[in-house]
Amino acid sequence: MRAIGGIVARELLRFLRQRGRLVSSLARPFVWLVFAGAGFATVFAGAGAIDYRRYLAPGLLGMVVMFGSLLAALSTVTDREAGVLRMVLVAPIRRSTVALGKTLGATLLGTMQAVAVAVLLLSLLQLWPGPAGLLLAFAAIVLSGLALGALGLVLAATMRSIENFAGVMNFVVFPMLFLSGALYPVRRLGPWLRVLVHVNPLAYGVDLLKHALLAEWAGTGYGGEMPPALDVAALLVFAAAGLAVAAALLGREGGVTRTAFRSPA
Amino acid sequence: MTATAIHARGLGKDFGAIRALGALDLEVREAEFFGLLGPNGAGKTTTVHLLATLLRPTRGTARVAGHDVVREDLETRRRIGLVFQETTLDRDLTVEQNLRFAARLWNLPGRVAGPRIDELLAQFGLRERRRDAVRTLSGGMRRALDIARGLLHEPRVLFLDEPTAGLDPRARRSLWELIQRLRSASGLTVFLTTHYVEEAEPCDRVAVLDRGALAALGTPAELKRAAGVSSLEAVFLARTGRPLAESTAA
Repeated sequence: MRAIGGIVARELLRFLRQRGRLVSSLARPFVWLVFAGAGFATVFAGAGAIDYRRYLAPGLLGMVVMFGSLLAALSTVTDREAGVLRMVLVAPIRRSTVALGKTLGATLLGTMQAVAVAVLLLSLLQLWPGPAGLLLAFAAIVLSGLALGALGLVLAATMRSIENFAGVMNFVVFPMLFLSGALYPVRRLGPWLRVLVHVNPLAYGVDLLKHALLAEWAGTGYGGEMPPALDVAALLVFAAAGLAVAAALLGREGGVTRTAFRSPA
Repeated sequence: MTATAIHARGLGKDFGAIRALGALDLEVREAEFFGLLGPNGAGKTTTVHLLATLLRPTRGTARVAGHDVVREDLETRRRIGLVFQETTLDRDLTVEQNLRFAARLWNLPGRVAGPRIDELLAQFGLRERRRDAVRTLSGGMRRALDIARGLLHEPRVLFLDEPTAGLDPRARRSLWELIQRLRSASGLTVFLTTHYVEEAEPCDRVAVLDRGALAALGTPAELKRAAGVSSLEAVFLARTGRPLAESTAA
């Protein structure tokens, strides 16, 4: 338990020391709100039912969690390159503990960022979902953080270096964002894309956030599109599966001694 | 209480078709200062990683600090300290934050970790730098901190894998003095790998490793006497037919 606390505390310390990361993570959703919000609002079909910027709010919070948690978990790649992962893996703790600590650290960072953004965003948009809605939104943020943190850890465990980062952005982050319902409802997408929506953890997170924040518009077709219980279950399954796979990958021989395979010395 | 700190029987490791370590038989006594001497690629790091439970042996068995390295890997890791060839510190955190992080990983309660960290910082001459980011430390200081990190949980066996590699001569010398001081520490077994003859010379016993096989084992004096030569460098040449320095140059 102390080891998990240590891993989480280190993630927090690193995050707080990186001012740039702090500022950009808080500013990013507002940049989207201003530019994407202004642009998409002109083509938004539901303009009669809901102001597009309000419609965007759950998606933006989902995006903050995704960037916060996924990128924090991806820092495991940097840990490996810098050698810090060796210190962790030579400690008397199980690989599954390491995976859990990393995922919880990522969840904490994603949640902190999303909560900070939510305070500003909801005030700015005058979106008041009530105590139950806020509680559900918080749960959605934490669950999304767990699922996306675990996913980020799986990616990190399979990546050799952070140079593949552009690939992750192009093939993971952007498709996940566009197929999450963050920017537009997913129900009008074609059948093939809808299949992808259902294997996208962010889609469940954003959907749950819509149930939480846009309950008022549930009847207009611009609230949540899937049953909330399904969202919760799917996020939990993604988190558990991601953790199991990440622990197995970290436990692989050579996970620590990556150079041992290249040059047995 | 066993008097054997490290006990390896037929320990070997293949990486695919490459035989990194053949079948090593080795016994290291408790409180011994033991050197594993050999050129790069001899299998030194593989040996350390096998003994430290980071690699699974292809054949053979090993017990370290009384525990089987395969079946009791957690128990083994709890009782050993390992300083890797390359640093494992978080460059963005301070000296003290790194040690605090390590203390938690080794499950040391704060009230135990605090005084222990103070003690190690003093011992390794890092007290004035405790609030500085590791990034700002010299190479020699980072290695010293790596070693302090390895000693934090008071291990019974400390593995030092090429501890002075990559340092300039002055930093090497002062780090080597720090390492020498570990000998007097109560009952600590030090298992050191090196390709520098002068670092093998002061060891209690030295194993000479070449191409994944043990070429010689004994006290430096015994090895020299047996080979009829006056230096460990010459012992390596006599035992393997190749000069140590030349094979190291690569």
